[in-house]
Amino acid sequence: MAKTRRTLVICVSNDGYVASLERRKIYESIPDAAAAKRGLLRIVDESGEDYLYSAEMFVEASLPTSVRRAVMEAA
Amino acid sequence: MFKVVSEITGAESIAQGRGLRDRARLVKFYGRAKWRKRRGFADITLDNGETLRAELHWYEATGVGKKEMKIKRLLPERK
Repeated sequence: MAKTRRTLVICVSNDGYVASLERRKIYESIPDAAAAKRGLLRIVDESGEDYLYSAEMFVEASLPTSVRRAVMEAA
Repeated sequence: MFKVVSEITGAESIAQGRGLRDRARLVKFYGRAKWRKRRGFADITLDNGETLRAELHWYEATGVGKKEMKIKRLLPERK
């Protein structure tokens, strides 16, 4: 089943990208199949643009629906 | 995450000064300078050993150099 929904992830490592990413912060991950098969995630970072980062730098944020909705609307 | 393994071509500035949304973070972590966001194209090798052509973005300032080279998109292989 193809994922088309944006997911929320938490940054756990920002090595080399201290201006672009903040540890412990929640970011939006945009579906990108070509990136995913290479161990990369497409992330909207602090610049406001989306870039490919190593998936190892993030963990999925499993949030209740109401919390997820609030976080997405807060963007 | 990846290594740039070719010369960067087509380099151009795409944002600078107040046009940089994350300018305050650049100053905080790398110092006060005339920061520019630049883009270009190069071959990169990923951690899995695969080599691809990619569009890259990075921040740069005179006297500081390039910071935070990021992959904007992977380009399809030329046939």
